[in-house]
Amino acid sequence: MIKNIRIICAVLLTTFAMVACKEDFPVDEDGLLITTRTQCYVSNFELLGSDLQTVRTSNAVIDTTAQTVTVEVFYGTDLKNVYPQFTLVTDAKLEPKITGKTDFSDLANPKQYTVVSGNRQIRKTYKVNITVQKP
Amino acid sequence: MKYKFLTYLFFSLSVMTVMSSCEEEEYAIPTLPQELQNDVIKRTLGPNLTGLNIEFAYAMALPKSMGKLVSAEVEASIAGAETTYLDNKSYYTNSSGVDVGIEVGSKSVNSGGKTTVTFTKDTMAATLRYFYRIPTSAKGKEVSFKFSATASNGQSVTYNMGPYKIAEMDMVLDLDVKDSSAAYISIEDLAVYNPTQATANAAKIDLVYLYRAIPNITFTHGLVAPSAKTYLPNVTLPAGVNRTAKVQKVWALRDFHLARLQYGIYIDDLDFQKLDLSTAVDYAINLRAEAGTWVETADGKYRAYIYINSINNATKSAKISIKRYTMK
Repeated sequence: MIKNIRIICAVLLTTFAMVACKEDFPVDEDGLLITTRTQCYVSNFELLGSDLQTVRTSNAVIDTTAQTVTVEVFYGTDLKNVYPQFTLVTDAKLEPKITGKTDFSDLANPKQYTVVSGNRQIRKTYKVNITVQKP
Repeated sequence: MKYKFLTYLFFSLSVMTVMSSCEEEEYAIPTLPQELQNDVIKRTLGPNLTGLNIEFAYAMALPKSMGKLVSAEVEASIAGAETTYLDNKSYYTNSSGVDVGIEVGSKSVNSGGKTTVTFTKDTMAATLRYFYRIPTSAKGKEVSFKFSATASNGQSVTYNMGPYKIAEMDMVLDLDVKDSSAAYISIEDLAVYNPTQATANAAKIDLVYLYRAIPNITFTHGLVAPSAKTYLPNVTLPAGVNRTAKVQKVWALRDFHLARLQYGIYIDDLDFQKLDLSTAVDYAINLRAEAGTWVETADGKYRAYIYINSINNATKSAKISIKRYTMK
């Protein structure tokens, strides 16, 4: 009987040891995976109005060298209540985070967003320049 | 020792097998209850607005040997408006999917909150439709219904439905707006005025409808508060029309009552109560058909949703429908 218990215990211990988790992958403060990627850029930019329809008149121009996003919006766009959407390179993240409606109405002082690379070592700040369509 | 262990094992296994074994129940044809029975379903969905119907289907039946139906009655806790009726037809759906009505009783009679149909045909089963036209007096209150039927053998049955909350909202459908003529919208009056009428009701004008085709920009159809002069190009406002309003564009909110399309979306009192237009602007331009705008009047007394049913660029006009909620 004791022998049987010993065998069972041994099997259980081996199983636990095999399924025990080991932290292989580092994560950052947001719980996102830190990878080895060093690329750091914005690949697409969208701006939605309060009706969740685009307010862009054409595609946003993204200059990854000058680190700017230039976009023209429709005449009459309510820039106090727009939803920006950034598409970033794989594994990168954006600071500050976009949580909802954003105020882009101060055209003289363009808003700035920082892209952080997958390895969290490289940071690039992009300026979002908005122009409004004129009659 | 070993055998004892095996005995326990077999014993517990057999207990588990016995407990989980299934017994095949034989199908039996349900026995027909020897009495008058009834059932009700509510056919309308969404908030209950004054001026609209709440529709029910009331089914009643008894075995043929026990007699026939004599009368059906619905009692509403708040008397319905004049056009409330209990259909005197029992419907079936034909092979083409069309509901065909067979008259089974006399036309319904309204008396106070009661609506009654007396059967004139020898029938033992019927489903009658009840249309309760929500009266203005029921606004903001709860209404409940008592359906009852009687048979020739003296039996009677009742079925209670509700209570149903009647919405506080008001609604107006298909107002025609036209650039520079019927262009002045009053949320308080739920009406559209021409410039002369607008002068007389200047303090109640919340929005101006306009259509502009301006080169290089997309303006088209707009709902603009009189205060937003930038977005009222070449508009001479009637004397005294100077109110502001909070306006927010919405897309694809095709309220079923306003749009009358296939979308099962309903704007209810709660939507107006929770609406936050604190940062909204005072204009909405580039509006398309099936778009809409949330509106709050300058004094904060009314909140409304204006739905664009259709637009016409050639005649510079549109058709709009409004739901309005009075804030407390």
